[in-house]
Amino acid sequence: MHPLTKRVGTAVMVLAIGVVAARGQGLGSKAQSRPLLKTEAVTYLFPEQVSVPAGKPSQVALHFRIAQGLHINSHTPNYEYLIPTTFSIPDGSGVQLDAATYPAGSLMTLTYDPTTKLSVYTGEFIIQARIVATAGNHLVEGKLHYQACDNNACMPPKTITVAIDVIGK
Amino acid sequence: MKAFPMRRNTLVLGATLLILAIFAWAGWANWEYRRQEAERLLSGAGRGELVPAPGGGTPQYISPLIGKTAPAFELKDLNGNKVSLANYRGKAVLINFWATWCGPCRVETPWLIELRNKYAAQGFEVLGVDTEGDDLKPDDKAGWSKATAAASKFVAQEKVPYPVLLDGDSISRAYGGLDDLPISFFVNRKGVVVTAQVALTSESDIESKIQKALNQ
Repeated sequence: MHPLTKRVGTAVMVLAIGVVAARGQGLGSKAQSRPLLKTEAVTYLFPEQVSVPAGKPSQVALHFRIAQGLHINSHTPNYEYLIPTTFSIPDGSGVQLDAATYPAGSLMTLTYDPTTKLSVYTGEFIIQARIVATAGNHLVEGKLHYQACDNNACMPPKTITVAIDVIGK
Repeated sequence: MKAFPMRRNTLVLGATLLILAIFAWAGWANWEYRRQEAERLLSGAGRGELVPAPGGGTPQYISPLIGKTAPAFELKDLNGNKVSLANYRGKAVLINFWATWCGPCRVETPWLIELRNKYAAQGFEVLGVDTEGDDLKPDDKAGWSKATAAASKFVAQEKVPYPVLLDGDSISRAYGGLDDLPISFFVNRKGVVVTAQVALTSESDIESKIQKALNQ
């Protein structure tokens, strides 16, 4: 091997090892932190894009997933002090939410309060949204408002964006 | 034999470009790592951690506020009166962050009332800090009015004897963020946080922490 090639090769290897080691150290220190909170209780799954006839009401099934160990109130919680799960589409997006049909909640009783029967969603759930879109492409930012708890604690109410590309044909 | 210098030049150029690319990548990686670390530190300022108890018992909430003076605050109570933490210097205080939509908070409230009444004569008080308006904008008058009404209704229903303060979210950052409720801070007579608790535990657990605040 030519001496120059050898030198260049050695330099590249040293650099690469140094960079990888530096990255590894950084990742290592990050992995030690243990977060207290579950930041995203609910994730929007799909669809990302839908095609619907322009001007006509169309059903779109919106799929969501709730993080393991958590529950959120259904759309019709059994107590007026609980925050219901709701879906909305802001005005001015070119797509109107005509109606939303929510799944029935499952009844849940927590060990600390056996007399209270909660109506909740867990795991995956689907909201049937009936939308009316004008002709054209619309990037809709729907809003899902919910409030999540686990067995012993609750997270503050939250609104997540449900991004869907709606094509009105 | 003329091909060798050309091949060597190509090799040197290639190696130089590769080294430059590695430098650029290393610089970007370093910047990205520092940015993420800065974000993590910023978002985690003052936040506590849940440490699993040995043998799988109730996890301990380790707040960075433990051993430090409880952050000062002045909030309005349900009657519109200003209540300051400084007014309670000389008493042990349980600062309990709660909300009406929080089921575990509602379960815990009767325990707090009972313990407050039990230890009040020894110089103990509970300050209930309502965080009802967590997702409300400051100018949402209807929302705030509804939130205050909800808190007032619950307080009347449970006959809560201790001060219940509004707009707890305005002091949440100082107390490490209120991402899980209920959260309680146990403050001794000198105004120092001696222990803290997140989530529903038990009345006996809360009582032992009150005793700690009274005796330390």
